[in-house]
Amino acid sequence: MAQRNLGTVIGFEFIRTVTKRRFWIGTLAVPVMIAIVFGLIFLSNSTTDTAAEAQKSAQFTIAYTDASGLITAEVAAVFGARPAESPAAGVRAVQSGTVVAYFDFPATPETTSVRVYGKDQGIFENGKYAAVAQAMLSRAVEQKISSPQLSTLAAGKVQVETLTYEGSKESGGLGSVIPPLFFLVIFYGLIVLLAGQMLNSTLEEKENRVTEMILTTLKPTTLIAGKVIALFGIGLVQMVVFLSPVIIGRVFFPEQLSLSALDLPPLAFDPVRMTVGFLILAGGFALFTTTLVAIGAVMPTAKEAGNFMGVMMALIFVPFYAVALVVSDPHAMIVQIFTYFPFSAPVTALLRNGFGSLSLPEAGIVIVILFAGAAVMLRLAVRLFQYGSISYTSKVNIRTALRSGSRRAAGDTTPTPVT
Amino acid sequence: MGEARVHISGFRMDFGDTTVIRDLSFDVHAGETFGFLGSNGSGKTTTIRALLGIYEPTAGILHINGRDFKPEHGDRLGYLPEERGLYKKEKVIDIMTYFGRLKGMERRAARQWSLEYLDRVALADKAGSLLDKLSSGQQQKVQLGVTIMNNPELLILDEPTKGFDPVNRRLLMDIIAEQKRGGATVVMVTHQMEEVERLCDRVILLKDGVSEAYGTIDAVQNKYGGRIIRIKHGGSIPRSPHYEVMLQETNYAELSITDTTDEADILKDLVDAGVTVRSFTTTKVSLEDIFIRVYGAQNNPVPAFAGDGT
Repeated sequence: MAQRNLGTVIGFEFIRTVTKRRFWIGTLAVPVMIAIVFGLIFLSNSTTDTAAEAQKSAQFTIAYTDASGLITAEVAAVFGARPAESPAAGVRAVQSGTVVAYFDFPATPETTSVRVYGKDQGIFENGKYAAVAQAMLSRAVEQKISSPQLSTLAAGKVQVETLTYEGSKESGGLGSVIPPLFFLVIFYGLIVLLAGQMLNSTLEEKENRVTEMILTTLKPTTLIAGKVIALFGIGLVQMVVFLSPVIIGRVFFPEQLSLSALDLPPLAFDPVRMTVGFLILAGGFALFTTTLVAIGAVMPTAKEAGNFMGVMMALIFVPFYAVALVVSDPHAMIVQIFTYFPFSAPVTALLRNGFGSLSLPEAGIVIVILFAGAAVMLRLAVRLFQYGSISYTSKVNIRTALRSGSRRAAGDTTPTPVT
Repeated sequence: MGEARVHISGFRMDFGDTTVIRDLSFDVHAGETFGFLGSNGSGKTTTIRALLGIYEPTAGILHINGRDFKPEHGDRLGYLPEERGLYKKEKVIDIMTYFGRLKGMERRAARQWSLEYLDRVALADKAGSLLDKLSSGQQQKVQLGVTIMNNPELLILDEPTKGFDPVNRRLLMDIIAEQKRGGATVVMVTHQMEEVERLCDRVILLKDGVSEAYGTIDAVQNKYGGRIIRIKHGGSIPRSPHYEVMLQETNYAELSITDTTDEADILKDLVDAGVTVRSFTTTKVSLEDIFIRVYGAQNNPVPAFAGDGT
């Protein structure tokens, strides 16, 4: 029966959330915004590329001086550039409007800036002067090298693939860091997006006075476990929706979205780290959810409960103050404290797991701490729910609630006026 | 007399240093309608909550069907708590189906039953509405429906008519009668004495956490005088060891017979004492009279304002 009711609670809680219009408005708002940003990037990239090409090939009157000797008359002719008598004469020619731009190529362009002077044509149009100057110099260098291969190499357009080893075993490098860090992203997403819902999940029974009817048909443990599981499912739905435009963009439109610039190495999915990451995520989620549910059970209204949410949010961001230390020196004392303190453990351990500095024994301890903490908080949440959910108008005395030694709630407060 | 559906023995409930219930014992038999009466603060709701496992009793046995109640035994329990409500932001049909499922009904059966019930109470067109879009009276009907889902064998109704309009009160009474006819045991916690007299087989009166009276309504009425004489008269009513003057107005009095004296003898004594009797009727003492007699004494006079010098 308990299992039947658990399924019923999960189904009810999940379906009533995901069938709400406001849930989808909130959930879809994020990917829509991401899609809009991507769209703007796409448009911007197209415009920029077009503009860059146009600028490179822009035809306008140019004067130049070349102390390096690299610019040949042939190259200058391609760009319609004429030599100036001196830098001063070149600048004067721009100022007088005789030419649109003047380029001053120094003797050592590899160390000294090429100075470009031009007629002001607006902040965006002015970019073409530098583009054309660079194009002239590149063309001149290519001509000098007289080998397309060497020209490409000289331009630094070299692809490098790195392979590292842990002992004789090939390590994943950056590609192995990213997948476990997804769990950190998911953790943040779940907590940030669902914290309010977690907090309010049991408050709803209290505020709507449903508790007594519920408590006579359902064990509070079943109710709360059902709510936690349903919230996890709801969170996963949200994460999938949030990530969908990123995945679609990465898979189908990498060039258009300029994601190739962020080209990631082949992702390596280390099964051990992925499993550890998942367990830390699950344990951390369970711990935070049960804690928020317990807070909700104590408070008489959502408004009062909301004050505590800020504290919980702070706890998941605190480890980021020491993120450099977490990555560079995982054995520092503060990192160790963050690793094993239950409420900072999920973020710290997920970071360390991502960067490969969380050993298996350490991971085991963290996972045990998180699940044990979640179990304790679940019991506390259940006790407080039993006790607090019929305390309709006042805060629950936690000490009294904890002192009650059995399944059922009693104690020395009067939870609600009794008749 | 059926088996004990509810058995409470030696029940004691302390909240810190305050004892709310002390040594309470009573049974509710299968198939009967039982009135659980008491003034505000007398411990009725506390007893019900302890019986249903919401509170842990300090001492005593509280059994339903011969065992401690646990939520997993709640499939055939219909409980209408004093503090009541449902999920306001959900559709009526979804709420009812959910509670039906929690009570062990199959989804389809729960849904079907709910639709039939809503049709019966003229809310068929509200099945797809959010609960908070319904009027207060309509919400009460839904709450009643949830209470009687899955054909409960035990109905516990804590202040069932509280907040109900007359139409829903009638519906509730019809439902209680219907459930009773169907073999359900009904426990009513209420202040509505007329309803208790009309519906209940037996009652218990709780005062300051102890049983003040317990038994059939006749037995309780007999305990508190049993018979009342209502008399329209001229002259003054004399004192007598056979009755107590409960009410004395101009030309009207109510006398509570305090012994086994026959009403005819009392009438003769009154006439002999020079009282002009215009009408003389005997009735049983009402539960309301008993209630007022038992609990009226608890009401202290309104204290004088400290600053008024009195």
